Amino acid sequence: MEFLLEPFTYSYMVKAIWVSALVGATCAFLSSYLMLKGWSLMGDALAHAIIPGVALAYLLGLPYAAGAFFAGILAALSMNIVKRKTRLREDTVIGLVFTTFFAIGLLLVSINPTSVNIQGIILGNILAISNEDALQVVIISFICLLVLVLKWRDLMAVFFDENHARALGLSVQPLQILFFTLLSAATVAALQTVGACLVIAMVVTPGATAYILTDRFNRLIVIAVLLGSITSAVGAYTSFFLNANPGGLIVTLQTLLFIAAFFFAPRHGLWAKHRATKMILKGNSHG
Amino acid sequence: MDSLLAFFTEPLAHEFMQRALLMSVIIASVCSIFSCFLVLKGWSLMGDAVSHAVLPGLALAFVAGIPLAIGAFIAGLFCALATGYLKENSRVKEDAVMGIVFSGMFALGLVLITKIETDVHLLHVLFGNILGITQRDLIEAGIIALLCAVIMLVKRKDLMLYCFDPVHAGTIGLPVRLLHFGLLILLALTIVSALKAAGIILVVAMLIAPGAIGFLLARSFDHMLAIALAASLFSCISGTILSYHFDTATAPLIVVIQAFLFLLALLGTSLGTATRTIIKA
Amino acid sequence: MSKNSIQLENISVTYPNGHHALTGVTASIEAGSICGLVGVNGAGKSTLFKAIMGFVKPSTGRVTISGMAVKQALKQNLVCYVPQTEEVDWNFPVLVEDVVMMGRYGHMGFLRHPSKADHEAVTAALERTNMTEFRKRQIGELSGGQKKRVFVARALAQGGQIILLDEPFTGIDIKTEDALIILFRSLAAEGRLILVSTHNLGSVPSFCDDVMLINRTLLAHGPVETVFTQENLVKAFGGMLRHHQLVGADLHDDEDKRSITVLSDDERPLVFYGETGGQKITKHGNKE
Ligand SMILES: Nc1ncnc2c1ncn2[C@@H]1O[C@H](COP(=O)(O)OP(=O)(O)O)[C@@H](O)[C@H]1O
Ligand SMILES: [Mg+2]
Repeated sequence: MEFLLEPFTYSYMVKAIWVSALVGATCAFLSSYLMLKGWSLMGDALAHAIIPGVALAYLLGLPYAAGAFFAGILAALSMNIVKRKTRLREDTVIGLVFTTFFAIGLLLVSINPTSVNIQGIILGNILAISNEDALQVVIISFICLLVLVLKWRDLMAVFFDENHARALGLSVQPLQILFFTLLSAATVAALQTVGACLVIAMVVTPGATAYILTDRFNRLIVIAVLLGSITSAVGAYTSFFLNANPGGLIVTLQTLLFIAAFFFAPRHGLWAKHRATKMILKGNSHG
Repeated sequence: MDSLLAFFTEPLAHEFMQRALLMSVIIASVCSIFSCFLVLKGWSLMGDAVSHAVLPGLALAFVAGIPLAIGAFIAGLFCALATGYLKENSRVKEDAVMGIVFSGMFALGLVLITKIETDVHLLHVLFGNILGITQRDLIEAGIIALLCAVIMLVKRKDLMLYCFDPVHAGTIGLPVRLLHFGLLILLALTIVSALKAAGIILVVAMLIAPGAIGFLLARSFDHMLAIALAASLFSCISGTILSYHFDTATAPLIVVIQAFLFLLALLGTSLGTATRTIIKA
Repeated sequence: MSKNSIQLENISVTYPNGHHALTGVTASIEAGSICGLVGVNGAGKSTLFKAIMGFVKPSTGRVTISGMAVKQALKQNLVCYVPQTEEVDWNFPVLVEDVVMMGRYGHMGFLRHPSKADHEAVTAALERTNMTEFRKRQIGELSGGQKKRVFVARALAQGGQIILLDEPFTGIDIKTEDALIILFRSLAAEGRLILVSTHNLGSVPSFCDDVMLINRTLLAHGPVETVFTQENLVKAFGGMLRHHQLVGADLHDDEDKRSITVLSDDERPLVFYGETGGQKITKHGNKE
């Protein structure tokens, strides 16, 4: 028992667990929307595209969140312009822009390698997060969660049926911009816990798992948020014992839960569907 | 004039630079050919997914004592197949499934690599190490890349038809499933051949940008291939030489040069349409 | 040589996501005529085409093409398919002649290097569809009707005896539609089997010999005159149709009991004229 409680005697572990859970909840909330809309890869793209901003912020000694945010907005703008100017598919445009931004970030780092811990940015280092960075993450997450809790219905209306939302008198475009702002903010926070390469899991996997488990959107959000925060906390906690990268553990856990849901979910799981088809075929042959 | 010449010849005095240059030419060729198919098929992000997913393959291959390239290949292919399977059998959208699978595999690889002592250098997998490749790497990658490039060029008409209109491809008796899985296998092979030198980041970019540049400028598929190849070769060679002189990381510089070429192409085509509309008016 | 035909025996199709798109379709379609495949959006028209081409595997039943299994028929280049406009990526960097040449791939060797015969077939197909002057255009630079004709030309170049056309009339003007209909008629007269799907009722009587009404299953199949009745159509289209009936009193001042029924879902309306609006079909839509 004492052995299991040992992580809680270290303040850096307590901090890591709490911050991870908070970020996990925020990202999972957003994931409920993201994966329904087919925008999953936006999360990945944003996470990579903010790297030059982070690198520059560290170089200049600014708060990293400010740099990240600025780069994220610049990337979103570039995608928008390229998309309007060409007939390229959306995925190509996203891929093109985020790899370029990422490369610019790495180039900046390679010019001045000492000031930035690039491995930390790409793979996350929640166990070693500084107090200032932790504070930034906590503030960002709380604001995001607050806005989401207040506005989740409006966002749902917009995501489900834009025209209907318009007819209801919701202002669609500002809500969409709000969503992307929240997404970039959550990405910036997640960068600290799981790193750029794994942010996509945080903003997709919990929502997708919940989507297999339920048909009602409000339950979907609750399940996703629970999954996101619990897996993040447990991942950070077990990294103490396993001495492995916490981001990797968090995402591995989330993926395992998704696989479990995929096979064993009560109605939409593979097993349940398999049985249902069998029943129908039996019914047909009798009838 | 002499100094300009020296700008190009000086790096080549070093053996490691010769190898790096040769390697970048090989990678540029095979990736640019592939990028044309990916851009047209709407699989641009498949390159992203598969190249991240090779990580656990590298770790497990090391543990099992088999060549890392084989482990990477199997893991990459597994990612592509698992994405297809999960999408077919659940109601989750394809892009979400792809994100789940590759991030899950990358995470697993990360845990494995930090847990087990391997000689897989995480930073080398991510960023590549084009200046540190050996003769053996060069030969290995060269053989795989050549194989892929030849197959893709010889079968380009079938593959293009499959990307354009799979149903028609089926009605004239082409083996559609073989083409589908063949394309995925080639993708995994291409990535494996390029990974050691180029790293995940560069591979992803090189599997998108050349095809996108070709798409902007070409009206027929063979032109698109030629333009993509030229753009990719130019960025790889100039990127390698410039990175030597300015002492920066090679892979990111190549990506930035590619992006610059894309911008030029974009400006060129928009200017072209603008002048055409002015002439018409 | 036996006549070309398509035999469908108890075809059911269930998509992997669990959606039952078609159940128990049994029908036999013979060459030399134009058969219309009529149903609402989502009725399973494209699905039936895909089943005929072996592109989706039926969960029950069997497709036979000219007495052969589907695979064998495809190997012999018997079947041509003209896709729905929405299924094509019009930004693809291919020229009109490239697309038509794709019809010849099944006749070419390993490297798909076109022979003289292939070039000739492409030229002939382009001429027959009046597309010769556009052969160097990129496919995205064409009008709606021209886009359709490229793919019909591809089917001609392919030279198959069975031509499946998925919604060839959506998004084109009446003039192009009539030109296509004339082309289909001549193809059928040459002994080919033409199966055309449409959700556009008005043009069906003007060019189809037979009609299959489907809505997730086969509702009726037979000659237009007997099957294409108001009763069957209401069954197939349910509440999806706009339905205007002008009864005797609105039409004339005399004791004539006949009425006009206009059924339309979007483009050409279908007009019935008779006492119950049931039996007589005007063999034209609103062609002015
Ligand atoms: N690949 C697919 N997976 C799942 N469902 C599909 C797929 N393709 C079509 N469907 C569904 O099958 C039904 C029939 O579709 P389709 O044959 O395209 O109709 P139609 O061509 O008559 O408009 C529709 O409800 C459609 O949503
Ligand atoms: Mg259809």
